[in-house]
Amino acid sequence: MSRFLGPLDSTGRVPPLQQTRIAAFLISAHGALARHLAMALPGQLSAGWQTELNAQFHREMEIVSLLMRATSWVPDFNLPYHALVWEAAWLPKPVAGVTDQRQAMTIDIAALGHAVHGAIRPAAVLPVEAQAQDPFVMALRRIEFESSRMIQPQILFLKSDDLKPMREAVSAAVENRHRQVGKLWAELLEGIGVGRDAETE
Amino acid sequence: MAADPKVEVRYRQVNRMPFLAHGSHRIRYELDGPLGAPAYVLVNGLTQFSELWTAYRDALTGKGFRVATFDLLGQGASDKPELFISQDDQVKALRLLIGELGDGPVFLSGISFGGLIALRYAIEHGEKLAGLVPMSAFAELSPQLMLLGNALRTGLILGGTGYLQDLLLPMNLSDSWLKPLLNNLDAVKRQGWLVNDAYALQNLMESFLDFQPLTPQLASIKTPTMILNGEFDFLTPRSLHETLRVNIPDSSLVIIPNAYHAFTLEKAALTADLLARFAEDVLANRWRGNKAVWIAPEEPGGEMIPFPDGYDHLRAIPVKRAAS
Repeated sequence: MSRFLGPLDSTGRVPPLQQTRIAAFLISAHGALARHLAMALPGQLSAGWQTELNAQFHREMEIVSLLMRATSWVPDFNLPYHALVWEAAWLPKPVAGVTDQRQAMTIDIAALGHAVHGAIRPAAVLPVEAQAQDPFVMALRRIEFESSRMIQPQILFLKSDDLKPMREAVSAAVENRHRQVGKLWAELLEGIGVGRDAETE
Repeated sequence: MAADPKVEVRYRQVNRMPFLAHGSHRIRYELDGPLGAPAYVLVNGLTQFSELWTAYRDALTGKGFRVATFDLLGQGASDKPELFISQDDQVKALRLLIGELGDGPVFLSGISFGGLIALRYAIEHGEKLAGLVPMSAFAELSPQLMLLGNALRTGLILGGTGYLQDLLLPMNLSDSWLKPLLNNLDAVKRQGWLVNDAYALQNLMESFLDFQPLTPQLASIKTPTMILNGEFDFLTPRSLHETLRVNIPDSSLVIIPNAYHAFTLEKAALTADLLARFAEDVLANRWRGNKAVWIAPEEPGGEMIPFPDGYDHLRAIPVKRAAS
């Protein structure tokens, strides 16, 4: 078990099975966020803040598209099972303690977005020796870089004055989503020989 | 044990790291040095993590002190609350840690954000402390500091942790420290980048959104206090430390020559020596704060020099102080 992906090949590329598993997970998570955003996005924008919905939707789609093209895919017969587990996890669930069901669902979707952009740090599992110009390496770095921007609408919404009366429910929802996403990400990494608490670099 | 019955304290051993628990959150800490010895508690700056105190741990335990380090909530191996991290929670975490140190004398020191948390602790629980050393610290947000903080937060949001580090390194460290590392800066930044998450750093920065100045409460700090300020500190300049000196009764201001905001990284041996000497003076009842201004030596063990009489220590050029 290592803290980082590898062993890298002689050109500094990440093993294809690791690429496949990570890309599949990220496509599943960001694809789910894109679907949620597509559902929320009206055909004709009527408020300024909806422009951000449009931007978010396209950024999520960009991540999906990027990974599909940047990954060296190999057959992975465990993937269908994993994909089912992941897809089930992303299903929206109304947040407990919020009476307005529409709002409760929106909070959960935002909490999932916060967790996907905050708890998953794909560049942090790249070893320093990874080939910087490799498309997969570059894609992971780009996704992590974009995440600190893409998390902002979720932060603004979840910390907004409108949600102050239900701060505890909101905090619990975000904590739950972080725990869930973090656990799935850690399990995925363990499945390909990467452990967060391993000591070797 | 913590005196606050609402706060549950329990220990967990995960990968040999001990943790305290504050509510549902874990706080990673480390204790070194002999049981029952006078203790130093060291509080991290905003983007730091506890391993950065290793040189202090070695130096201070070598002089017979016990040393406590920890990661603040939102940092390093401590838990990272997802949406809100209040400074009150940081003070409670610090209280838990100090509660672990027993009844011996406790000296508390913190750098920058950690200096602020140390000041807040001293205001609320000063009776627990034998001495206080705020370093590169502040009790209020001057317009410059507030605007710099806002800009740094924007930098974090737009460019991630790496960009924040890119801004802080040249702002807070000297050319002589940076020059030999210019071709290796990514390695310098890597551990901090690995262990700190952007959203958690953002939460730490946003704990200032409802910040109220501590200045009116500084006079309540009765503990001996040595205020350390780098000569060339750009982020928290002399005027912010002057607020501490003027308002904390038993304080002295010590200017570290040729030092910037992050002098704890750059001048660890000198700073650890100053910490040890301060504690030894307090314990031997030699310490007299007198709101004096001193110039620290360039090297550990060197002589402290009183700031030249009649000159204004707030200026960067030798200007006579106005008669008061």
